[in-house]
Amino acid sequence: MAKTTKKTANKKTVPTVSVIPESPLTFEKPAKFNQVNHSLTKIDAMGLVCGQQKYVADVDFNDMLHVKVLGSPHAHAEIKSIDIAAALKVEGVVAIYTWKDVPRVPRTTAGQGFPEPSPYDTYLLDKKVRFVGDRVAIVAAETPEAANEACSKIKVQYKVLKPVFDPEKAMDKGAPVIHDEKDCRVPIPIFYDPKRNHCSHVETAVGDVKKGFKDADIVLEKKYYPHYAQHCPIEPHTCMAYLDEYDRIVLRTSTQVPFHARRITAQTLGIPVKKIRVIKPRIGGGFGTKQEVLLEDVCALVTLRTRRPCIWALTRAEEFMAARTRHPMVCTIKSGVKKDGTITAISMRIISNTGAYGSHALTVLSNCGSKVLPLYRAENIEFIGDTVYTNLPVGGAYRGYGATQAAYAMECQMDEMAEAIGMDPIKFRQKNHIKEGESSPIFKALGEGREGVDMAIGSCGLDKCITEGMKKIDWKKKYGKTGNGTKKRGIGMCCLMQGSSIPEIDMGAVFIKMNEDGSFNMLLGATDLGTGSDTVLAQIAAETLGCKLEDMMVYSSDTDMTPFDVGAYASSTTYLTGGAVITTAKKVREQIEAVAAKMLDEKPENITIENGVCYGKGKKNSVTFGQVCVFSLYEHQQFQIGAIGSHISHASPPPFSAHFAEVEVDTETGEVKLLKYVAGVDCGTAINPTLADGQTQGAVMNAISFALTEEYIFDDNGRMLNPNFGNYKIWSTKDMPEIDTFLVPTYEKTGPYGAKSVSEISINGALPAIGNAIKNAVGVRLTHPPYTAEKVLAAIKELKNDAGKAKAKPAKAAKTTKKVATKAAAAAKTSKKATAKKPAAKKAPAKKAPAKKVAAKKPAKAKAVSKKSKK
Amino acid sequence: MKLNTRINGKDYCLEINPNAMLVDVLRQAGLKSVKFGCGEGSCGCCAVMIDGKPRNSCITLAGLAEGAEILTVEGMGNPQEPHALQQAFVDSGSTQCGYCNPGSLIAAKALLDSNPNPSAEDVKDALDGNLCRCTGYVKRIDAVLSAAKAMKKSKKTSRGKK
Amino acid sequence: MLKKLTQFYYPETIEEACKYLGKKGEKTAVVAGGTSEALRQDNSIEALVDISRVKELNYIRKDSSIYRIGATTPIQDIYKCSDLKGPSGEILKYTAGKIGSTLLRNSITAGGNLAAIFPWSDLPPVYLALDAEVVLRKGKPKRTVPVENLINERPNKFLGENEIIAEIAVPVYGKGTGTSFVKFAKTANDYSMITVATRVTLKSGKIEQARIALNAVTISPVRIKDAEKILEGQKPTSDLIAEAAAKTAEKAEIRKDFRASKEYKREVLEVLVRRSLEEALEMAKK
Ligand SMILES: Cc1cc2nc3c(=O)[nH]c(=O)nc-3n(C[C@H](O)[C@H](O)[C@H](O)COP(=O)(O)OP(=O)(O)OC[C@H]3O[C@@H](n4cnc5c(N)ncnc54)[C@H](O)[C@@H]3O)c2cc1C
Ligand code: FES
Ligand code: FES
Repeated sequence: MAKTTKKTANKKTVPTVSVIPESPLTFEKPAKFNQVNHSLTKIDAMGLVCGQQKYVADVDFNDMLHVKVLGSPHAHAEIKSIDIAAALKVEGVVAIYTWKDVPRVPRTTAGQGFPEPSPYDTYLLDKKVRFVGDRVAIVAAETPEAANEACSKIKVQYKVLKPVFDPEKAMDKGAPVIHDEKDCRVPIPIFYDPKRNHCSHVETAVGDVKKGFKDADIVLEKKYYPHYAQHCPIEPHTCMAYLDEYDRIVLRTSTQVPFHARRITAQTLGIPVKKIRVIKPRIGGGFGTKQEVLLEDVCALVTLRTRRPCIWALTRAEEFMAARTRHPMVCTIKSGVKKDGTITAISMRIISNTGAYGSHALTVLSNCGSKVLPLYRAENIEFIGDTVYTNLPVGGAYRGYGATQAAYAMECQMDEMAEAIGMDPIKFRQKNHIKEGESSPIFKALGEGREGVDMAIGSCGLDKCITEGMKKIDWKKKYGKTGNGTKKRGIGMCCLMQGSSIPEIDMGAVFIKMNEDGSFNMLLGATDLGTGSDTVLAQIAAETLGCKLEDMMVYSSDTDMTPFDVGAYASSTTYLTGGAVITTAKKVREQIEAVAAKMLDEKPENITIENGVCYGKGKKNSVTFGQVCVFSLYEHQQFQIGAIGSHISHASPPPFSAHFAEVEVDTETGEVKLLKYVAGVDCGTAINPTLADGQTQGAVMNAISFALTEEYIFDDNGRMLNPNFGNYKIWSTKDMPEIDTFLVPTYEKTGPYGAKSVSEISINGALPAIGNAIKNAVGVRLTHPPYTAEKVLAAIKELKNDAGKAKAKPAKAAKTTKKVATKAAAAAKTSKKATAKKPAAKKAPAKKAPAKKVAAKKPAKAKAVSKKSKK
Repeated sequence: MKLNTRINGKDYCLEINPNAMLVDVLRQAGLKSVKFGCGEGSCGCCAVMIDGKPRNSCITLAGLAEGAEILTVEGMGNPQEPHALQQAFVDSGSTQCGYCNPGSLIAAKALLDSNPNPSAEDVKDALDGNLCRCTGYVKRIDAVLSAAKAMKKSKKTSRGKK
Repeated sequence: MLKKLTQFYYPETIEEACKYLGKKGEKTAVVAGGTSEALRQDNSIEALVDISRVKELNYIRKDSSIYRIGATTPIQDIYKCSDLKGPSGEILKYTAGKIGSTLLRNSITAGGNLAAIFPWSDLPPVYLALDAEVVLRKGKPKRTVPVENLINERPNKFLGENEIIAEIAVPVYGKGTGTSFVKFAKTANDYSMITVATRVTLKSGKIEQARIALNAVTISPVRIKDAEKILEGQKPTSDLIAEAAAKTAEKAEIRKDFRASKEYKREVLEVLVRRSLEEALEMAKK
């Protein structure tokens, strides 16, 4: 038995009897769905709308302490001294801790698999601060006011160090070193070079990119700069700690990863895991930012030291500055394409800015490739990514997780390529996108800190997403019709994919027990952060058990009560934990059938179950679930009907999606008005179509404001100037465009009842779709989102200037084209044709000379062309 | 200082700090449906009805509510007897994390109190101060419209509950 | 945060309110909607005089040729008021609807919005464009002054210790006048980046009176009189309007903030003023 632990290899041969369960590769498809694929009511909805459901801060303790953490005013500084005497004198202050008072344990705040693929570069408190808002001291006081006042009275002497803000310069020789401490390290054997602010590196190649570029008619190279953003859960991070009757620490916290939170808190404080219980009550949204252990260590420390309950809730400003963000990136894409629309090579280079700490640094980076590059067929692909430290806010997990940034670059590039060869952008995508039965070498080449998992696409509804979406946006009628006047219209689109869980890494577990009225308690490690996963998983259980949703009572995310689950991330809960639910419910169902068989004097295999009733052969006789359970608990050979089950996935089937945007651009002010947005998603079987649609709509709205108005604005010292909803603009009802979302059903054999993920994918669309629509309207390609009016106007003016120059010296422009296109005369011809054809169709301002886009055929700089990512 | 108010139909005399904000006072009084999201009047999850008008309780000094009638979602309905809006939010899938719901429901109720026949534009206008990061608002707008319809129907048949 | 505050007063009349404000030995301040951050951050105030329940301050009325808006009237009531019509009424309603959100508009009062002037205050520039006056009360005594004077000298300096804003009096303009309000911001409930309020009053085919008032792009609400002069007495043409718009952009003292560069603001200001004047003119011609 001892030797069977490694089960990654040879999935197909079932090992001889082992107590270690084997997760199934596929799940069978029932003839008909009774509970899943129905829009049943979310089980916590009524409690939520009546104000009955409790969030972290909704319980009280009489002697609660209030925690406040003093944030650094400097982006990069050494703490020379801290004087807390005056602060301690503030009435109501109970304790103040500085770096001298706490254990120094390097670790990561990223709640990921263990050992984590993120560097151990973060400390409870440190004598160095690395971004504005970094922790300096912890204050606990009787009231929030006293805690605030004490913070203002802590006197800190800093030795201000030179900061580094530009990710493209962070690795330069002589750049200030952000992690110069000796003890930062990576817990697994992966690349890490903190002395050069070089946090992670991923490199992989398939085929021969050099050759691919040579074979191309046109080679385009462009840099895209996806920007900082914050998740903006309406409930800020909140954590409460208290001691239970056994003197254990209870953390009631707004987390997406209760089990990781327990582990990391134990690690940080040097206490055993058994001393900690983490409870996640209802939480007010997460979107990735709560996949981070940011408050739990501090609250646990305060409660352990003071022996009093405490609570810490981030202010909105802290949420922006000191919680986590979307990694901003510099994405360089070079692509080669033939006139017939064949993509000959893609090279994607990413510099990801992780800010001061490397939370999710590597995995967000590799996701840029793994969740984007497989979408289009290309024989030659290269991916080179680097994550760098800077003295800016810390990146982390954010819905989309790297795919958002890279899909933006890739989908803009797709439009650029289509334009360059004079092909309709949709046709171009239809020609190239991956289809059912096909695979991509990228799946295996790019994993999470290790090699990925090879797989073929089992389900793909992308074609239908595209064709339906085209109808809904009225593509054929609108494309290229910019209109006259100062306001121009345009439409744009993009295609997307994501994944469903991290294969062979993530695990979810479930426990189900039966009650004497025929109901079931289902205990889940999985974490519902508002998405409705408790409901979706209960629907899957009810389907498998043969009962109704209302007979499932779900309790989730409590490290004492529920089995393990990695938590809510990587688009995994429905797909992964759903598998565990089926496995577990099947075991329970078998027990029910066995008991019913005994009661009915039948063979278990003759028992059929319908709606909570077990029937004998031919439906002649029956017993209800309630009777079965009463029998098993009280009457004969008593036992508890119940089971525990786990699941790991062997694949990560991508959901697919096509998004469409229609905009109106004011050419005098640069203002972009979003008129309509259409998104079609293939998430396999939607276990709960209303909830799945809600995920799409929520992600779409988030993505739209991300594309147009959400923006971190920094001063010269790295301080965010707009850390509040007043100035960081997420959209309200009044800003909404017409939104049309739809689901395209497919059936994914490897997923529970055919399901794939749905939550993340749709946040990736707005940036490219709107960007492409703007290009369609006014002919400018914006590479520095968000598309604020000022940037759009500047681009329009630049285009006019270029056009003016081109007109003035047509000969020169033509020459550049030729020179750049060098020996591929065909390329020059095609690009000329493409540009000559377009303006006739649309009266947009004159196009940029194609010269700008057709990059010289520099040899690709790729060095190592091994198939594996660097380890 | 003392604050006398009527909350959800019950009289309260609360001992408060003169500079306290209404959101904190209400939460301390046990009305936990009132949420805190920004403290600057921008997100609306702290919205409560004060004398029939929905307002941000996080920037309303509690002292301004002296003698006022306050309504929170606890007072709108309960799972046994939900308000038509609460039912519509549930039925339409307008609640994901739910953190923004109490505030939005209060704003929606104020709209229907003064305008029983709102258009989608009216709903967008009335809920413009209630940010939601989860749902994208689409379902919520339908929910308010369908609640308005349901309320009209129930008014026709009976005299309407609330 | 109002650390010294010990109590509230709840006067029912203006005179009572002013009496509390004049109380010796106690630092008092008026509170109406209470939404102003500046008010809440003040740590010297000992007592607040809540005027929101003074009934005689909450109204919107039309007296012969003047709309009278009581100081504690919530902005939402202006937005939803069906009695406000014509060139003055419409711009007041439209502008009120552009302030904050429904929740905020229920709190923010007309008086508070004028007493606490911020770059993003939307109604004050409209008052300038409409040549509105403000009625101030010190108990019984009252004085009526142009809003412009109040703004130029800053309300907190202009108002006497126990003096309050009681009313905003907005002239009713009839046929021949057009108004326009433009708020240029990122989203519907954003603070403004550029605010433009304009009015043109035509007489026998010529512009008799023109007003161009700005805020947000400037530090506080101002009229650009040099630009107004270009228009007054002239026949309205698009060239003339463009000239006035250019002059506005030239003369405006553009505020520096993180919303956009000064150059951009200046450029767009010109566009917005031009469009606003065109819109006002169109209304005036109807
Ligand atoms: C998130 C947010 C967004 C906002 N957006 C906008 C916007 O887009 N456009 C806009 O125009 N405004 C906006 N405001 C409103 C603006 O910033 C002020 O808060 C508001 O105008 C103050 O009005 P109030 O009635 O709440 O005044 P209060 O807060 O009660 O008082 C403000 C000041 O005025 C004094 N005062 C009040 N009434 C009188 C009176 N009658 N006589 C003498 N003094 C008086 C008070 O003593 C105090 O000093 C916004 C506010 C918030 C919180
Ligand atoms: S908490 Fe009151 S508006 Fe955000
Ligand atoms: S449901 Fe989560 S913020 Fe609205």
